Amino acid sequence: MVKKIFISIFIISTLYSQNIYEKSCVECHKSLPASLERMFMNYLLVYSGEKNVKVGLFHYIRYPHKDTSVMSKLFIDTIGLKKAIPRYKLSDKELKKAINIYWEKYKVIGKIK
Amino acid sequence: MLALKNRVTNSILNSERKSLLRFLTLYILMSTVVILLLSIFYYQYQDKLNLANHRTQLSTYAHELIRRLKQTHHFFDQSQIYPRDNRFKSAIYDMEYINIFSLLDEKKVYFHKEIYRINSKIHFIKVLDNYYLGAKYLVIEVDDIDDWIDETLRNIILYGVIILLLLALFGLYLARLFLKPMRDYIMLLDTFIKDTTHELNTPLSAIMANIEMMDREVMVEKNIKKLHRINIAAKTVSNIYNDLTYLTLKREKTSQNIDIDIRDIIYNRVEYFDILASSKKIEFRVDLDSVIVYIDREKITRVVDNLISNAIKYNRRGGFIEIELREKYLSISDSGIGIEESKIPYIFDRYMRFNQSEGGFGIGLNIVKDILNEYHISIEVYSKINKGTKMVLRW
Repeated sequence: MVKKIFISIFIISTLYSQNIYEKSCVECHKSLPASLERMFMNYLLVYSGEKNVKVGLFHYIRYPHKDTSVMSKLFIDTIGLKKAIPRYKLSDKELKKAINIYWEKYKVIGKIK
Repeated sequence: MLALKNRVTNSILNSERKSLLRFLTLYILMSTVVILLLSIFYYQYQDKLNLANHRTQLSTYAHELIRRLKQTHHFFDQSQIYPRDNRFKSAIYDMEYINIFSLLDEKKVYFHKEIYRINSKIHFIKVLDNYYLGAKYLVIEVDDIDDWIDETLRNIILYGVIILLLLALFGLYLARLFLKPMRDYIMLLDTFIKDTTHELNTPLSAIMANIEMMDREVMVEKNIKKLHRINIAAKTVSNIYNDLTYLTLKREKTSQNIDIDIRDIIYNRVEYFDILASSKKIEFRVDLDSVIVYIDREKITRVVDNLISNAIKYNRRGGFIEIELREKYLSISDSGIGIEESKIPYIFDRYMRFNQSEGGFGIGLNIVKDILNEYHISIEVYSKINKGTKMVLRW
């Protein structure tokens, strides 16, 4: 019984220690063949600047469409188009926060040598 | 005959030279401005030509670098090394002009230009179609080897000077062509005056001598008055004759300078002109100190004669002439018609007459100025319409 309680506490604390990006993005993307970093580079290739990338990403998450996707046609045909994340599941504020974390994690400025 | 012609030509040379100089100065100034503008266009053209030559090379560099950027982009998780090249330096900027990575020496970048010079560097801006590493702008930088500037400047100076010289020569030819009618006219006038003067000498001498010899005591009052009028007319003509003689014959003669008391000359000339002045009821008010000046007697006499005769000629009836002589100046003022202020600068020009009602050739004041210039004596003219004119000579 005590063991179960400890395990439960551990799982709950682990979940709460994850940030919004990890909770909302990484969890689902883990199972996809393309990494989040690869997708980030695709966003860079299409949108270039920070503000543009963030706006493009935000729009796509809310209104995913094959024409606005940065992934290849093959990828879309194989994996399918992602579902839109509604606001009640992830508010605009939370989404922007997650996108900011995503940008900071994979941005190339300051990493190129 | 040739010598005489030369003298006449020399006498008009000053005014001609002045006009020529004015025209040439204006002409060369305008030509210089045109040449300068052309030089600026030529320099800009050479600059663009030079940049165009660089553009091809830099465009090739940019395409090579884009290929390598593409590789870096796709394998960024494995290597974050920016592609470098010894032949040039480069930088990448995103859509918001944020620097992603830069190897440039000159950090200032003008994104709206394709190619430009900045602090001995040439920047070439390439806008990318695919934003590898998020880069929209790729900047290629090379050293600006400015050999062309020296060559361009050398060409500008060399050809500029040659063209300017050719234009100056052409301007000189044009100016002479334009001035020829004026020169011919003045020469004709000079020749006419010279010939007239020559013909006047004998009859005038005869008239003057006979007037002096006439016995007034046996004359009736009526005839004395007539003789008086003849005397006035003869003296007027004599004064004109003296001016013309000076102008055509004596001007070129060497001055016989001696110490002269100007007061004596003035007294003498006032007495001479008194008969002329009294015919217009003009009163002389003379206040003279004894002043010795080292000068040619004939020349100072011409100066005094012309100033007094003008003061009489342009005076009103019943007016006055004030003559004041001091150690360093002589002033002659009248109560006459005056001269318009705008015309004062031109009164010493030859053949210049502002009042056609009085006789004369317009040479008197020209002679005065000519003589005063020779002796470095300044002349100031103060005049008010219908009030009078004052001439002040300072030495």
